[in-house]
Amino acid sequence: MRLTDQQVAAIRHEVESLCGEDAVVQLFGSRLYNAARGGDVDLLVTLPEAVVHPARLSAQLSARISRRLEGRSVDVLLSAPNLAVTSVHQVASREGVRL
Amino acid sequence: MLDSAKLSRLQFLSRVIIRETDHLLVTNRRVFNNLMTPERARRLAHDTADSEQVDAFVSRFGRLQDTLGNRLLPELLDALGEPVGAVIDNLDRAEKLKLVSSADHWMSMRRLRNQMVHEYIEDPAVLSDALQTGHAFVTNLEEASVATIRTLAMHEWGDIAVISEFLSDRNPSG
Repeated sequence: MRLTDQQVAAIRHEVESLCGEDAVVQLFGSRLYNAARGGDVDLLVTLPEAVVHPARLSAQLSARISRRLEGRSVDVLLSAPNLAVTSVHQVASREGVRL
Repeated sequence: MLDSAKLSRLQFLSRVIIRETDHLLVTNRRVFNNLMTPERARRLAHDTADSEQVDAFVSRFGRLQDTLGNRLLPELLDALGEPVGAVIDNLDRAEKLKLVSSADHWMSMRRLRNQMVHEYIEDPAVLSDALQTGHAFVTNLEEASVATIRTLAMHEWGDIAVISEFLSDRNPSG
């Protein structure tokens, strides 16, 4: 995994502060692989309850985490009981590593 | 004293911002005359007239935010003798100067934009929330645009004729 301990702690902190401590965050995509270089930080955040403003929440999370990671590009995919499960969700939850 | 090249760039950008603000406000009113519900978002795939309106909203929203934040703001900070740096640093400075209400909110709205594209977003719940959230942010964009234009007017850096007309419709606090 190509994230430092501080970066993981920053991600967990932001997710907990916006989504509560029951939210689970997983890293997926190119940052999982030590051989790859650069690339976006792709996160899957799974919430136990329905989310009223999914687009707003994911945008807030991306912006806050991106700032904590010195402006690196961060993509946040949300999973919640009221949201559709797309093929991206399936891949993300299968390969994702919990942070 | 600004050199004439800088002054004419600021004048040009002030005219662009004013046109982009006016155009965004028109489309904003048309599109959100009715609420963007998940049902309406689902219909966008087949409703050409509505999807063209929504596309116009998304692109005008993006253009105004980019012209304000990425083009005019660095030029304005430079003219004011402020340091110019990365987008987020410029926005922090703009927040201190009360040109934008919140740098964090501004960055969130930049991240929101790719969730407003109906060809990409397959979940109507996400698409409708993205569009409604964008709609709610239009007031902030307009306020940022007015605050920026007022600053230009104060220093006599913008296109004065166009600026006077733009500001005449707006009260001093707005």
